[in-house]
Amino acid sequence: MRATSSEVVDVDLSVELGPLRLSNPIMPASGCFGPELASLLPLERLGALVTKTVFTAARSGNAAHRLTDSGSGSALNSVGIPSPGAASFRSQVLPRYSAHGTPVIVSIGGLAVDDYFSIADELSMAQFAAYEVNVSCPNLERGGISIGADPDQVYRVTRGVVDRAAGRPVIVKLTPNVASVDETACAAEEAGAAALTVANTFVGLAVDLRRRRPVLGNGTGGLSGHGIKPLVLRLVWEASRAVDIPIVGCGGIATTGDVAEFLVAGATAVQIGTATFSRPTTMAQMLDELPTQLTDLGCRRVADLVGSLQA
Amino acid sequence: MMLQPLAAEIPSRILPVCIDAPVLGNQYVSDRYWMLRLDAPEIATGVRPGQFVLLTPSQTPGEGPSLPRPMAVYDVDRADGAIDILYGVVGSGTTQLTRFRPGDRMTAVGPLGRPFEPPSDATRLLVVGRGIGICSLTLLARERAERGHAVTVLLSGRHRGAIIGADFCDAVGVHARQLCDEDGSSDVESIRRLLVEQYDPAPPDFVATCGSKRLLALCRDLGRRWTCEVQVSVEAHMACGLGYCHGCAAGEVGRDEESPLVCATGPVFRVS
Ligand SMILES: Cc1cc2nc3c(=O)[nH]c(=O)nc-3n(C[C@H](O)[C@H](O)[C@H](O)COP(=O)(O)OP(=O)(O)OC[C@H]3O[C@@H](n4cnc5c(N)ncnc54)[C@H](O)[C@@H]3O)c2cc1C
Ligand SMILES: Cc1cc2nc3c(=O)[nH]c(=O)nc-3n(C[C@H](O)[C@H](O)[C@H](O)COP(=O)(O)O)c2cc1C
Ligand code: FES
Repeated sequence: MRATSSEVVDVDLSVELGPLRLSNPIMPASGCFGPELASLLPLERLGALVTKTVFTAARSGNAAHRLTDSGSGSALNSVGIPSPGAASFRSQVLPRYSAHGTPVIVSIGGLAVDDYFSIADELSMAQFAAYEVNVSCPNLERGGISIGADPDQVYRVTRGVVDRAAGRPVIVKLTPNVASVDETACAAEEAGAAALTVANTFVGLAVDLRRRRPVLGNGTGGLSGHGIKPLVLRLVWEASRAVDIPIVGCGGIATTGDVAEFLVAGATAVQIGTATFSRPTTMAQMLDELPTQLTDLGCRRVADLVGSLQA
Repeated sequence: MMLQPLAAEIPSRILPVCIDAPVLGNQYVSDRYWMLRLDAPEIATGVRPGQFVLLTPSQTPGEGPSLPRPMAVYDVDRADGAIDILYGVVGSGTTQLTRFRPGDRMTAVGPLGRPFEPPSDATRLLVVGRGIGICSLTLLARERAERGHAVTVLLSGRHRGAIIGADFCDAVGVHARQLCDEDGSSDVESIRRLLVEQYDPAPPDFVATCGSKRLLALCRDLGRRWTCEVQVSVEAHMACGLGYCHGCAAGEVGRDEESPLVCATGPVFRVS
């Protein structure tokens, strides 16, 4: 029998991403979050905190404009991952994430396969819960083709980081800019990934009509926001059927209803990115509403909803 | 042109809040400009001249524009807890802002960014704004005039109807001179002559500007001539307004180091 919202009883929000147990499935998306939000959002309530992608060496990022609203509920960004570098990340940035008692997932990136190994080596002694490997980076050794588009390279990067992770779970964040997400998903699973984040941004272009130039300084950028939700739901659904490891859904999630849709499509947890910019309290509101949402759908645990799509 | 961050020490300020602020008014003013009044006591108590808010142009999560819009606080009523925002309708986001009616709620985050910081002994201020850039300067002019400081405001615009802030300056008793492209009075060289003539005998001790690169260059020149502090408020596309998304870094891209974030290190910078 369907429970009504007035009968919200002990709903279990906890989820497991392989060996990583989280108090709830709500966490921020890399690059769309920072400890600066602490005055606006109770960070200790979130399932996990995810850092901006960090590289071994310091990087300056791309030229302005770095982002723009691109209409239809979407945003385009070419921030280009400015990074303080591994050493200053460890001493200056990581402590600000760790201060909240919430599991910290460190996102790492590289511009060549070996870069991922270096950053994993440099962070091996630091205190944090898990890695998220951002493979949506251009491979400068191969003419800038995304590492994440090539299943072999996804395998090598994942394997190398797993070997250096000192037992921490490794989550691989896939790129949606591929013909088949199944192949890269399976490559990461075979290489020992504990979970997959599906997905990073879609490559897009915004045109400044008057100047006949791209709006963004970098030319193209990554499309995010509510407008991409149907595209990502489909990827989550496909990936969740291709692998046995848990999926973290990411892309266009703005409401508690969206969270539930991602769980139904096969995600075990979700990441919130662009929605936080307009409403920094979004994730807290989702946590307030999720028990009722689950109860309304006849579920007592998050796991009851995960992958329940009848298709 | 070099934009320098203000002093490393951030003066005491309140932390930003996120509120669903009741809309008290939202009216057409002139040309493409509208005035929005929000009931936002949490922001009104602490906001300082030059600071801004992020406004979300839709009432429903998942609908409307994906990014909030940065807007300066034009004026504040600290007693009533209200803030005024004067905005120009440019594209989709600002068009959607015009749809809000009194009683609706608008999500606002603020106060954000670093305010203007005139030297502590400054009492003679020159304020130079153009177009919508004037919105970042009005609160400074008002608060300084209320302290009895000598404030002169230059308001520049494309045509008479596009010059904003004149009524505001009248109402708060600040001397404002209007300059427009139509009659040639906004020409930078004529402004230079005008200011040199007026101020050379007794230069200002602080110049604030916003809204025009050419006026910024003029202010920098005059600041050197008078050896006085010049500060500018600059614009950048933004997402978070808090310093974590790195979307608003403006200026030259160095090889190793990122240029300053306009939302957190700015939007007010020292000009040198
Ligand atoms: C600190 C600061 C204070 C500002 N204060 C005011 C103010 O008081 N009144 C006012 O009318 N405007 C102000 N602006 C400019 C205002 O933010 C833009 O006009 C507005 O974002 C345009 O949105 P749109 O959807 O109408 O335009 P669109 O062109 O459709 O916007 C597309 C995208 O570009 C961004 N964008 C476009 N123009 C600008 C711009 N000039 N600055 C920043 N982002 C831009 C938008 O935010 C959006 O992400 C300020 C900007 C900054 C950075
Ligand atoms: C401004 C911005 C910066 C981002 N930076 C990163 C990053 O550093 N690493 C990463 O893996 N993804 C990054 N992303 C992608 C997001 O983590 C997320 O995958 C994407 O935005 C889709 O989710 P959303 O629609 O909820 O925003 C960034 C996205 C945005 C908008
Ligand atoms: S707008 Fe996000 S860092 Fe400035």
